[in-house]
Amino acid sequence: MSDATPTVLVDHLFRSRSGQMVAYLTRLLGPQYLDLTEEAVQEALVKALQIWPYSEIPANPSGWLFRVARNVALDAIRHRALVDQKAASLAASEIARMSASAGSPGEAEFEEQLRDDELRMLLMCCHPALPRDARVALSLKTVGGFSTREIARAFLSEESAIAQKLVRAKRQIRSENIVLELPNGVELVPRLDSTLEVIYLMFNEGYAAQSGENLTRQELCGEALRIARLLADSSVATPEVHALLALMALQAARLPARVDSQGELVLLEDQDRSAWDSRLVALGFHHFALCSEGSQLSAYHLQAAIASAHASAKSAEDTDWQMILGLYTQLLAQCPSPVIALNRIVAVAKAKGTQQALAELRNLADDDALQNYYLLPAVEGSLLLETGNGLAAAQSFRRALELPCSEPEKRFLERKLAQCVDVPPMNNWQFHQDPLLGL
Amino acid sequence: MPNYMLLLHNDPTDWKKMSPEDMQKAIQKFIAWRQKLDSHKILVGSGKLRDDGGKVIRGKDHMRVTDGPYSETREVLGGYFMITAANYAAAVEQCRDCPGLEYGGTIELREVEPVPGT
Repeated sequence: MSDATPTVLVDHLFRSRSGQMVAYLTRLLGPQYLDLTEEAVQEALVKALQIWPYSEIPANPSGWLFRVARNVALDAIRHRALVDQKAASLAASEIARMSASAGSPGEAEFEEQLRDDELRMLLMCCHPALPRDARVALSLKTVGGFSTREIARAFLSEESAIAQKLVRAKRQIRSENIVLELPNGVELVPRLDSTLEVIYLMFNEGYAAQSGENLTRQELCGEALRIARLLADSSVATPEVHALLALMALQAARLPARVDSQGELVLLEDQDRSAWDSRLVALGFHHFALCSEGSQLSAYHLQAAIASAHASAKSAEDTDWQMILGLYTQLLAQCPSPVIALNRIVAVAKAKGTQQALAELRNLADDDALQNYYLLPAVEGSLLLETGNGLAAAQSFRRALELPCSEPEKRFLERKLAQCVDVPPMNNWQFHQDPLLGL
Repeated sequence: MPNYMLLLHNDPTDWKKMSPEDMQKAIQKFIAWRQKLDSHKILVGSGKLRDDGGKVIRGKDHMRVTDGPYSETREVLGGYFMITAANYAAAVEQCRDCPGLEYGGTIELREVEPVPGT
């Protein structure tokens, strides 16, 4: 093999290029051809898979893929024109447009145009007229280059259900004539809101997944970060975009420390901070600085500020809990949600003491939205354990274990439950012996 | 040492179901396997056979060119690798980690008959 021939492909090249190829061909052909375009791109990738093992990777793999995808799309349009006479003249102009488009991947100008194509595609897939879950699925499929099966796996859903969402969304794009564009002025605001919502959903879905359990789900975090950066580096970036990117980068930075070598969950306060991804921390702080331009203080801003307070603490003891509590209080006022309220209580415990936190927790206990949320009894158990009330804590952890949670979360709760045994006995301890704990 | 032909059969509809990420992984595995053969200096050649346009040719005086019987089978002959090996068993060993097998394909392994006296 000659030295000029690459022997390794850039990580995720196929996935990221497939999104770009779809965006590029859609610019040339229009969104009504989205199906044809996606098929052409898929066929180009399959051709690479069939040919490259027997030869070598071409010197410019992306150039090869773009050329083949374009030719396949051209053939498909010509074929349609033959079958459907009415479409023939329309197709002819599209073929001309495609044939005239010059440039190839790797050239600066072409790459810049691609980023622009991708951005327009993202904004189209996140159009507020589309249902929210369809926006997420379409963005992952069309911009992210994920397969229907991968999306289904990531969202713990059926492949056929995702496929149906995609079909409906594409039909809606055609029927409502949703186009590729960069909206500006007042139109941009709802489009960006909707796009940020999609990115945040994608990220949270991935972040909720535990290490090793489901690799596809973890890749959602990477994709959310990638498209947030695309948005942040573009002309439509707003302080809110930077805030969301800062928030996600700072949280994703902690992922490597969130599980230990045995795959067990590690709480933030016990994490080895040197294991945090320093590049993501730097990226997060960079965009955190950018998000403070302007007077806007969105929910993303507040969450980014909380993440940055954690990231800038040298150790768990150094954490500025007073500031974090203040931020949570503002966040709760802006988006009243029981989950945020529960997170705030953890900050109350750190800033004002366990008793105060337990008192506030009691106000939350009856909230309907939290009845199936294992973290409510889990937080309660941890607080009780800190006060030395091992018996009550054990009851809370046992209740948490009855609620839906992932395997590592379950093991974490079991470890906490076992700790309850070691708590020094209280006065009436002997009257409440629990056979389950083997006391 | 004799040459061996590795004829790789696969079902192309399986490829079409793969995600871009998985396709890239598959290519990467093939390249690594190919490099292994290369580094052992036993790779003689390789080639991909075109999927379309294949015909079967019969008859001398009335030569007939027809579509092959292979178009009716699900598995197609995708391509070949030619390697050198000490014997058939050694050639089988080289097939063991061929990614084609991992993706549901089969390998037809044939020794190229050495011509005596050469």
